[in-house]
Amino acid sequence: MTPDAPAPADGGNVDTATDVADRIRYLDEVMAEIDAEVRKRRASGDLPAGLERELDELFLEFSPVGLQGRARLRETLSLVDGSAYVDIAVPTASNKAVGSYIKRAVRKGLGWYMNFIVAQIVKFAWSVSRMFHVVVDHIEDLEATVEAHRSPDLPAAVVPAAHTGATWWAPAAAEALASVTDRVVVGDCGDGSLVEVLGAAGVDAYGVDPSDLALEPALDRGVDVRAESVLDHLDVVSGEALGGIVLTGSVQWLRPNEREHLLDLVSSRIMVDGVLVLHSTSPEAWAGAASPVVRDLAPGRPLHPETWTHLLGTRGFSVTATVRGGDDRRLAHVGSGATDAATVNAAIDAINELLLGPTEYLVVATRVR
Amino acid sequence: MTAVHQFVPALLPRDATGDHTRALRDALRSAGWDSDIYVEAAHDELQDEATYFEEYPARARPGDILLYQLGTSSPVAEFLLGRDEPLVLDYHNVTPASFYEGWEEHTVAKVALAREQVASLAPKAVLGIADSAFNARELDALGCPATAVVPILVDLHAEAGRDERERARLAADHGDATVLLFVGRISPNKAHQHLVEALFVYRRLYDPLARLHLVGPTVTPAYAEAVFAFADELGLADAIRHGEGLTDAELAAWYEDADVFVCLSEHEGFCIPLLEAMRAGTPIVALDAGAVGETLADAGILLPTARPALVAAAVARVRSDEALAASLVEAGRRRLADFAATTTRQRFVDVLAAIVDAERVVA
Repeated sequence: MTPDAPAPADGGNVDTATDVADRIRYLDEVMAEIDAEVRKRRASGDLPAGLERELDELFLEFSPVGLQGRARLRETLSLVDGSAYVDIAVPTASNKAVGSYIKRAVRKGLGWYMNFIVAQIVKFAWSVSRMFHVVVDHIEDLEATVEAHRSPDLPAAVVPAAHTGATWWAPAAAEALASVTDRVVVGDCGDGSLVEVLGAAGVDAYGVDPSDLALEPALDRGVDVRAESVLDHLDVVSGEALGGIVLTGSVQWLRPNEREHLLDLVSSRIMVDGVLVLHSTSPEAWAGAASPVVRDLAPGRPLHPETWTHLLGTRGFSVTATVRGGDDRRLAHVGSGATDAATVNAAIDAINELLLGPTEYLVVATRVR
Repeated sequence: MTAVHQFVPALLPRDATGDHTRALRDALRSAGWDSDIYVEAAHDELQDEATYFEEYPARARPGDILLYQLGTSSPVAEFLLGRDEPLVLDYHNVTPASFYEGWEEHTVAKVALAREQVASLAPKAVLGIADSAFNARELDALGCPATAVVPILVDLHAEAGRDERERARLAADHGDATVLLFVGRISPNKAHQHLVEALFVYRRLYDPLARLHLVGPTVTPAYAEAVFAFADELGLADAIRHGEGLTDAELAAWYEDADVFVCLSEHEGFCIPLLEAMRAGTPIVALDAGAVGETLADAGILLPTARPALVAAAVARVRSDEALAASLVEAGRRRLADFAATTTRQRFVDVLAAIVDAERVVA
């Protein structure tokens, strides 16, 4: 047997296929108008960029889930401390005088017994509490050690600008996502140009970018964009809610643990058969062209496309295409008649491969499981 | 005589699983089969209708089929794992433990155990019956050899009285303000914080006096405290009403009083309140998560995300577009008919009859 929908009830509740199609079309139109209303509100300034993220962050302040590291440990520890003391002075108040008398008599009569038991319970509880204090102290020492090795944040002035205008890979991304009918999010969307290209190709796309400044042109043009990082955004998207995800920008220099977290989110938020488009600078171009400050201080490095293929494969994706492009500065071979042409051309090939090849690449993958 | 006996961890009155179990027993008996209910615990009101599950071996007969109402962890699951009778699971879903992490560690352990029990029982069962295709996919993934989708048995077509005094009290309280309603236990997977966020944005953009009515028991106190403290911080303390322990008639009044039923749950195995809203004629705006989309079908506005601006805009559209609201209500009435108790009862009997016949052939 296979899953099937509840059978329609008898009598007059069976819609024709046309009725159903009309109704779905009508609801789709309503949804598109609701989306347009949100975009209009954003563009008009009624809904400040970042407000929704601020609301999420505010809720976290009230949530034990949101308490990070030290604060959460200390709060939990205070709960342990608070419950480690057992009071044997049982309340004896009563609405009836005789009741209070009986309670006092019972308390007095059992006092020797309760004292003996409770003393052992409290001793055990304090031992447990003391053990937790030792563990927490140890964890805080470890955190301090880790903190000492943390690399400083990149100066804003040297962070590569978000994408603006047309890019060589936008047509390839649009083609890869052409068959996706569900929503597609573009991470680090910058001025929203790619979102517009995808929209023009019939893709139901919207963008996210942590920079309010970068988003301003998009908001001015009424493009559906939100001011938040792709990690923050995917964190709050429901499981398997997206038909496609486009990653670019910061994905190239995330810390290794952040990259792992991003991959986990991508593989859980994108539906089966959904499409991932990942754009990155090549490691060779990064080494040769990125600002020295960025190269030295960036928490992570761009990966080779083969590495992404491996990482995505472990999370249920199958890479369907790898396209190289961008600034191609490869040297041409010398003519075969030149002196030592074969040797020189081999050297040119080596230089091209290491330093002057296509500076960027695009990986297209489909979630298969 | 053919016997299909049900096992359920707890048999409770005015409880979806309890009502379903009793209604299914009556349907099975009407079909001419023996059917009793075995429990780990039963409410005082229902003691006469239930037998302690460990008494079953003494009453077992050849040819018995055992049907387990599975929605939480219980020693009953371990008991059934050790039985040789053909086992049918009636799966109502178990909320993933991740929703409770950080909020309530003992619940994390409890639901994790329940999930382990589902994983152990699924391959052993001869059939998994699920409220929704969403639940059926979970059973399939766990190796259940066959699955069928049959909705939970709820008699939503029975005439529900409405408490007129409660309705008048609510109306006097909020006046002309828009009222958003959600019904469901206060628990992290229900994502009440998104409702509060949506109310905040809705008041800012559309109706500064709008209210949010929440109905349901507080089952995760730390989460409820956080939600209400969050609302307080946003200046919404006076804009939110919480109803708990309502009678059926009072609940009907809360549904009919609301302008829009808003469900932003992140995990639902079926979502009966959607059907209750349909019955009350309250238009629905809901996040497309878990089984919500398939239960709702075209009888509401289905949102891809719970971003507050999108939720607020959807609610505003339903409020301002009378034709849309009327069409959603009408679609809700049509959709509700798909869950008619008579249809569902017959479907249960048909599905179980196939199992009974198959087991006879094997025997």
